[in-house]
Amino acid sequence: MNAIEIRNLCKNFGEKQAVVGLNMTVPVGSVYGFIGENGSGKSTTEKMICGLIRPSSGEIKLFGKDYQDDYVRAKIGVLIEAPGCFPNYSVWNNLMLQAANLSLKNPEEEIRKVLKTVRMEGSAGNKYKNCSLGMKQRIGIAMALLGEPKLLVLDEPINGLDADGMRIMREVIGNITKNYSTTVLISSHVLGELEKVATHYGIIRQGKMIMEMTAEELENSCRTFVAINTSNNDKAKALLLTNFSEVKEAENGQLRIYDAENPEAVVAFLYEKGILVNYLNTAKISLEEYYIDLMNQKGVR
Amino acid sequence: MQKITFEKQTFWNKLKSMIAVDFKRAFTMPLIYIMIGASLIAPILILVMVTMMEGSVSVNPQTGVETVMEGFDNVWQIIGTVSGASANAAPAMDMTAMCNINLVYFAIAVFVCLFVSDDFKSGYSKNLFTVRSCKTDYVISKTLIGMVCGAGMIVAFFIGAFLGGAISGLSFNTGDGVNSSNLLFCFFAKVLLVSVFVPIYLALSVAAKQRTWLSLVCSFGVGSFLFMMIPLITPLNATILNPVLCVVGGTAFSLGLGYVSKIILNKTSLV
Repeated sequence: MNAIEIRNLCKNFGEKQAVVGLNMTVPVGSVYGFIGENGSGKSTTEKMICGLIRPSSGEIKLFGKDYQDDYVRAKIGVLIEAPGCFPNYSVWNNLMLQAANLSLKNPEEEIRKVLKTVRMEGSAGNKYKNCSLGMKQRIGIAMALLGEPKLLVLDEPINGLDADGMRIMREVIGNITKNYSTTVLISSHVLGELEKVATHYGIIRQGKMIMEMTAEELENSCRTFVAINTSNNDKAKALLLTNFSEVKEAENGQLRIYDAENPEAVVAFLYEKGILVNYLNTAKISLEEYYIDLMNQKGVR
Repeated sequence: MQKITFEKQTFWNKLKSMIAVDFKRAFTMPLIYIMIGASLIAPILILVMVTMMEGSVSVNPQTGVETVMEGFDNVWQIIGTVSGASANAAPAMDMTAMCNINLVYFAIAVFVCLFVSDDFKSGYSKNLFTVRSCKTDYVISKTLIGMVCGAGMIVAFFIGAFLGGAISGLSFNTGDGVNSSNLLFCFFAKVLLVSVFVPIYLALSVAAKQRTWLSLVCSFGVGSFLFMMIPLITPLNATILNPVLCVVGGTAFSLGLGYVSKIILNKTSLV
């Protein structure tokens, strides 16, 4: 069964087409990384799934039922843009309001559980407005987790977080997939972080889904490269380009040779030309690089 | 294959939870206490100040025309006027005609607009409407909270009028053939008239969503339009027909405009 199944979804804002015939399939139990540039239609799609925006046309099914079905909707948790909390209320009171809204039978117990999941047990008494950005995002997730949702929609939950905040958020998402039988739809620009949690991916461009794949398929699709550091990288790059078709200089100064069959061939070639290799590694391109490659192929950049 | 089941919640359960949330919110935020406090203090200030200034003469420096400040003859003038009073005997619009309980209906607009727009501004509406596809419970709950708080403000104004009258030494004699049962019906009519105004303010607020200024401007506009109607529906010499009329009007407005509010919520983007 699929948690989300979208067919030919369209959304127009006046003349502007935000989502154009989008198809999307999110299997139950998956962590679905939803990737796309700013304005590609990710948030609009998520808002339509959550019933916050009405689609212009198309079909959205959640767990095989219509997305407007009240019983299904009661089992969706959402964090879109920013958590919907009242700034002058404490974290606990904000969660209590949502618990009341969901008619939870044991609200205190559930709130303690979700606060533990998002690692905020000690901050329940803090006023929401006094919380840091990272804490606010985790409160939003805690709120979304109340009532043990079957589907969790997280829109850019790691945006603006520092390295530690991202690490905590990664652990939180790990906790969710471990402790709750929840399908997670998560959109993010921080592809490096997404890569660590997602089991499925969907790439959206200009309102259209251009690719959907599993993490294994992505792994298989990602090209390998040989990364080297030499005594003279500029000269080495010029020489390598005579023998290999794609050689690039990475941000860290290393040279990457993408079409080398084996690293030994690269070392031997440079040795013959009198250049010593002092670092050598074989790796696969990251999700971010794959995404950039894909966008380049599609003629976006 | 993983089997997924969904618990069914009745409409009544959802409505109960929505009302519980709204009442909890309303009574844990300062807004309602400020509005009720203002409704209590306003008549005291008006009665005391107007009584103090009564008889004072102001001269227009350009025309040289003298104007004598007229005060209240009795406490009940701040609550309402007697319907059927001779048209040519009616005084020009002065302080006593403008500064009365009818101002509370504007204060109710402020409360409803701020309360509803807070849902959208804080983003709480996202949490709320994600788990609720049916908006009826939201509209009913907001209408109820508006009515209860509005009625509270009317009651506070009545109490303030009594206190202000006592402080300023104004007469509590009704005169004009108005007896205590008329006053009681007038009071109930004023309270029940809230149910006519709240659905209007609610419909405007859900249409304006997070744009508080827009909902306030529209509510004041519509409120001003209906302002002149209030003394006619809820006069001091009210009979049982007046509260009944308010109930009928309130029911019609609540059902009609409640449905309109629901349609607005269903047909428009909620963020």
